[in-house]
Amino acid sequence: MSAVIEIEGLRKTFHGPYRSRQVAVDGFDLLVGRGEIHGFLGPNGSGKTTTLRALLGLVRADAGRMRLFGEDVPHRSAAVAGRVGAIVETPQFFGNFTGHRTLRLLALAGGVPTRRVDEVLDQVGLRGRGDDEVKGYSLGMRQRLAVASALLKEPELLILDEPANGLDPAGIREMRDLMRDLAAAGATVLLSSHILGEIQLICDHVTIISRGRRVAAGPVEGVLAGHDQHEWRVGVPEQGRAAELLRRAGLPVDEYAEHLVVGGVSDVGELSRLLGEQGLWVRELVPLRPDLESVFLELTDDGAERPELVDEPAPADAGEGRLIDLDVTVGDDPEARA
Amino acid sequence: MNLVRAELERLAARRFVQLMLALLVAAFAVTAMTTLVGSHRPSSTEVADAQRAAAEERQSLEAAYQQCLAAARGTLPPEEADDFPDDCSALDWAQRDRLPVATDHLQGVFNFAAQARPLLYLLILFLVLFGFLVGASYIGADLSTGGVVNLLIWRPRRLAVLGAKLGTLLGALTVVSVLASTAYGGTFWLIGQTAGMPGATGGDFWPWLWLTWARGVALVLFAATAGFAIAILGRRTAAALGAVMAYTVVWELGLRVVVEVVGIPRGEDWMLSTYLDAWLTGEARLADATVCQDLSSGYCDGTYQLGWGLGLAVLLALVGGLTVAAFAVFRRRDLI
Repeated sequence: MSAVIEIEGLRKTFHGPYRSRQVAVDGFDLLVGRGEIHGFLGPNGSGKTTTLRALLGLVRADAGRMRLFGEDVPHRSAAVAGRVGAIVETPQFFGNFTGHRTLRLLALAGGVPTRRVDEVLDQVGLRGRGDDEVKGYSLGMRQRLAVASALLKEPELLILDEPANGLDPAGIREMRDLMRDLAAAGATVLLSSHILGEIQLICDHVTIISRGRRVAAGPVEGVLAGHDQHEWRVGVPEQGRAAELLRRAGLPVDEYAEHLVVGGVSDVGELSRLLGEQGLWVRELVPLRPDLESVFLELTDDGAERPELVDEPAPADAGEGRLIDLDVTVGDDPEARA
Repeated sequence: MNLVRAELERLAARRFVQLMLALLVAAFAVTAMTTLVGSHRPSSTEVADAQRAAAEERQSLEAAYQQCLAAARGTLPPEEADDFPDDCSALDWAQRDRLPVATDHLQGVFNFAAQARPLLYLLILFLVLFGFLVGASYIGADLSTGGVVNLLIWRPRRLAVLGAKLGTLLGALTVVSVLASTAYGGTFWLIGQTAGMPGATGGDFWPWLWLTWARGVALVLFAATAGFAIAILGRRTAAALGAVMAYTVVWELGLRVVVEVVGIPRGEDWMLSTYLDAWLTGEARLADATVCQDLSSGYCDGTYQLGWGLGLAVLLALVGGLTVAAFAVFRRRDLI
């Protein structure tokens, strides 16, 4: 798969008054292949928007190499601009312009046939509101208008910074369907968003940036698998005794009011057998898979607490992990913990 | 070309531009209406009376001059001779810029030729203000709302985009200036023809009018370019307005006071208004007592002149410098 976006070693420092400086992006790499829906994640101030702005030629990089469709940017930006549609943060529009006029002016400036205006208004669900002034639009409608402006050129690459901002749940779903349709039609989408659930639902690849550096990248499933702790939620009648048994077997155990969370489980059958041999019959056994949010919080150090894990039905294959040491004995019930 | 078309449509659709155009039309309309209401076509009796009064005034001036000469010759009684200066050239009506004419004595009658100069300066003032505000807000609003960013994503050539914007602005302002001047000048010419007097429009009247108008339109374009450039440098419309306010208060008013108090010779040379005056009127005549100090003989009125050429050079240097700085800064600026 050929690369649509290539960023290597991007650096950008902003200089403020009194010689203050802020490193926004520090040796960041990004690779987006053709046809991907690529999620771009990072906490506020991590360098996401600066990266996108640098890629679009709006911010001058201090160092690094960027290419779009194989062309060096920003030097050759003009050569590829017609193939790239983008919105960066929430674009502002003149309030007294209608949505139609806003798009028409962009189409004129970009040499795009103005018939595309009605098409994209329809595409983003603003048909019927195109003749209204933008100042009467809700935040979600402005966001749709921004996406419409990015779609005008029928771009091969769509760069969207927080496109779901201000959208209601139905709007978010429409936006998700739109991304999928675009990808199905062959477009590549780079999607920056704080709605991690959405990224996980929409994107096939993801790059996570923290403090200006890439901390994870690859297919979404691969990134999640790389942070799988092989944890299981275990419900047993004598929770304290079971916890001690498992700890003696070398497994990390966290005790909760109604269940245990056991980590490092590579063979859940062995886990069940170990407990059963001691008369501890398992009534609940659920694998805990990390979601993108937990991985994100772990990688970006923004989560002060333990990442939230989500429940999933037990898969046929429990996956790889550490083997349970079965050569243990069961001692007294440990003191019950909450 | 498409970019220019888009920019032209964007400029015309801007609410601020429409408001400023409405204010411009309203100002012209008020000026024309008050002129029209305050003027009437003079009757033949009024004209005859005015002609007689003008003739009497000219005779009176001639008589005073002759009496001054008589006083100088010593043929006038001493008590009368004391009323006249030693140098009678000041009373020589032949050396005056203009002689008393009949229209000076027509009350409530608009004289097109006589009023053309102040009316033209008023028109230029309106248009300069219009040009500066529209120039500053056109790019200032685009910068502060992110409109420029949107455009640059589509057309990632900063200088070309900025050049297209400036070119569109200046082209549109030229058209507006021509149309507004035609309507404004035509209205007052018509008032002169129908409800007043056309006045003496012969000689160099029309050449002077056209030349001054052309200089005025150039001044409008200078003002718009300066507003545009300062707004880019300051990233917003308010920067241009603030810069002009600050310059006016600190330099034109504050420094002028300091210059007068300290008694710095030729202090006017440091004022931009001097060069505006020189360019628009063709020559700025400025007072300077020191010019007569080295003069042992001959006439010295204590003034010196700055020509339109120097005025144009200073304005071009200022506007050109601002524009080059604005384009250079914008070319490298991070748009965040």
